[in-house]
Amino acid sequence: MTAVPVTSPAPAAIAIRDLRFRWRADLPPVLVIDALDIQPGERIFIEGPSGSGKTTLLGLLSGVLPVSDGALTVLDQPLNRLSAVERDHFRADHVGYVFQMFNLIPYLSMLDNVTLPCRFSRRRRARALARGGSLNAEAVRLLAHLDLDDPGLRARPVTELSVGQQQRVAAARALIGAPEILIADEPTSALDADRRAGFVELLFRECREAGLTLVFVSHDASLEGLFDRTLRLAELNRAAA
Amino acid sequence: MPILILAWKSLLNRRFTALLTLLSIAFSVTLLIGVERLRGEVREGFTNTVSGTDLIVGARSGPINLLLYAVFRIGNATNNISWESYQAIANLPKVAWTIPLALGDSHRGFRVLGTTATYFAHFRYSRDRGLALAQGEPFADLYDAVLGSEVARTLGYRLGDPIVIAHGTGDVSFARHTDKPFRVAGILAPTGTPVDRTVHVSLAAIEAIHVGWESGAAAPGRSPDAAQTRELAATGALTPKAITAVLVGLKSRIATFQVQRAVNDYPEEPLLAILPGVALADLWRLIGIGERALLAVSAAVVVVGLFGMLTALLTSLNERRREMAILRSVGARPAHVLALILGEAVFLTLVGALLGVALLYGVLLLGGPLITDRLGLVIGIGPPSPAEGLLLAAVVAAGVLVGLIAGYRAYRLSLSDGLLIRV
Ligand SMILES: Nc1ncnc2c1ncn2[C@@H]1O[C@H](COP(=O)(O)OP(=O)(O)OP(=O)(O)O)[C@@H](O)[C@H]1O
Ligand SMILES: [Mg+2]
Repeated sequence: MTAVPVTSPAPAAIAIRDLRFRWRADLPPVLVIDALDIQPGERIFIEGPSGSGKTTLLGLLSGVLPVSDGALTVLDQPLNRLSAVERDHFRADHVGYVFQMFNLIPYLSMLDNVTLPCRFSRRRRARALARGGSLNAEAVRLLAHLDLDDPGLRARPVTELSVGQQQRVAAARALIGAPEILIADEPTSALDADRRAGFVELLFRECREAGLTLVFVSHDASLEGLFDRTLRLAELNRAAA
Repeated sequence: MPILILAWKSLLNRRFTALLTLLSIAFSVTLLIGVERLRGEVREGFTNTVSGTDLIVGARSGPINLLLYAVFRIGNATNNISWESYQAIANLPKVAWTIPLALGDSHRGFRVLGTTATYFAHFRYSRDRGLALAQGEPFADLYDAVLGSEVARTLGYRLGDPIVIAHGTGDVSFARHTDKPFRVAGILAPTGTPVDRTVHVSLAAIEAIHVGWESGAAAPGRSPDAAQTRELAATGALTPKAITAVLVGLKSRIATFQVQRAVNDYPEEPLLAILPGVALADLWRLIGIGERALLAVSAAVVVVGLFGMLTALLTSLNERRREMAILRSVGARPAHVLALILGEAVFLTLVGALLGVALLYGVLLLGGPLITDRLGLVIGIGPPSPAEGLLLAAVVAAGVLVGLIAGYRAYRLSLSDGLLIRV
């Protein structure tokens, strides 16, 4: 086989070549992916059966888990060659992350939860300040975008928020300081059906405005149509076979 | 240090259990440092039960035995020193002063000591503290008695009260010298030494008690009354024939061993001279085990307190795994997670130790006068001694160790959990 020259002008936001990941050296690999490219600004829907390695893949993309073998490049950073500390810095600067549930730190206020990434990343702090003037102002702006502009709500402990409200606060936290990549691991599965599409729409609006790349994992096939592209992990991942 | 702000807010969120941990550390530190300080004072007080005295002289027996009866008024001398030998010692050229001691009688369970005015002038305890009279005067009259503070307090005596001195040392003596009542002339301030439990009278008074009792029991008709005895005293007829022991002060300390040898080799009578400091230190080694046991117990209390903190930290870890995954997702390193736990442990230990020391100073400030009054122990409110500083450092080091153990576990958990939220 001869190498096909790559002609795409912009480098991929995420590029995987011959990736392998095993949790422990004595365990078989959980992920074996030959190639995957995700373009900047793309909105990707990842689906796959439980245990197929979706969360594991997100852990690799965000630099929490070390690549066992192969190449993983995110925003031109070869994550497979960075140290753990460098990957943590990378994540702090460039990745916003939304969990399935329990996204908020119970002892922090709503605003403190949203501005949390700015405590770990100078870059995102500087960007948030440039955008909003102050961290809290930027947090309030983002929350308002996500239909959380009630000051009364902000004063309450975050543990008293509804699940949907908590997920939107988590989205604001993932968006603050404009990271390039937004990763969401089943962020809608705790929401009722009517709210899911609404939440995804909100995320899309923010991503479009900031030009974010969105990697979204879900079991909910009804959301699939809203995205640019769907990745079926069962097909992509040769380890499952 | 954003992580420390988070640690602080997290701690505030768990303030009730944190406060309990803090208090258990504080109380155990108060106990530990308090015991250490008390221990130091007690040892110091004990080895300084007599100070300023260069030699203690008695009839030949063991040094500890001599120390026990001459200083602690425990037990009896097997033999006395003749008055002539006492005079010979007092007249040695190197001797500056002597305090003769005559023991044998008791008053309602407290020992009666016959001595001279030199006792009040030269007796020293606890690094050169002299005896002070809380009330009244040293004895002037034949029938004057000066009470130790505990005697006066326990028996409720006040100045001028008449007291009766028994022959012998039994608690309830049948042979009471009721015919010659003494008068309380003075009451000493507390010293924390056996002086507090002693009734002091003049040497002549000891003789006077026994006038007419030579046979060991009252001889009716032959026993002179108080007035007659006083006249007798004026003639010098009440000079004792023997005393129990002598405290000797020298003109120069350099001569101590020379004088000690001279006394030990005294040809007329078998005598023994001991150095009080050395003998007291020997005795302390014998009975001081209890004090070390006390320190060990209080150290164990601190260990229990720190184990409580370890338990609290490790228990909280499971509840906090979600918090750690969230922090990792926003860019926190596993080292941050370790710092979060370590910071909490160090904070609790440091503040607990400071609080404990503050508590101790509070107790000493408020309770110190009471301790001095009751026990004669003056517990200093000075800054922590090097030994106490070392103990505090050990407590903090142990706290850091606890934090590292819990922090390392959190570190491992956050590495293996990654961004997985386990609930
Ligand atoms: N910390 C871990 N240590 C060892 N194995 C793990 C660990 N976490 C996950 N695995 C294994 O890796 C595989 C993939 O797990 P992963 O969580 O990525 O699946 P998933 O696709 O996200 O599933 P779900 O849809 O249920 O969330 C599973 O077989 C799981 O047992
Ligand atoms: Mg998953």
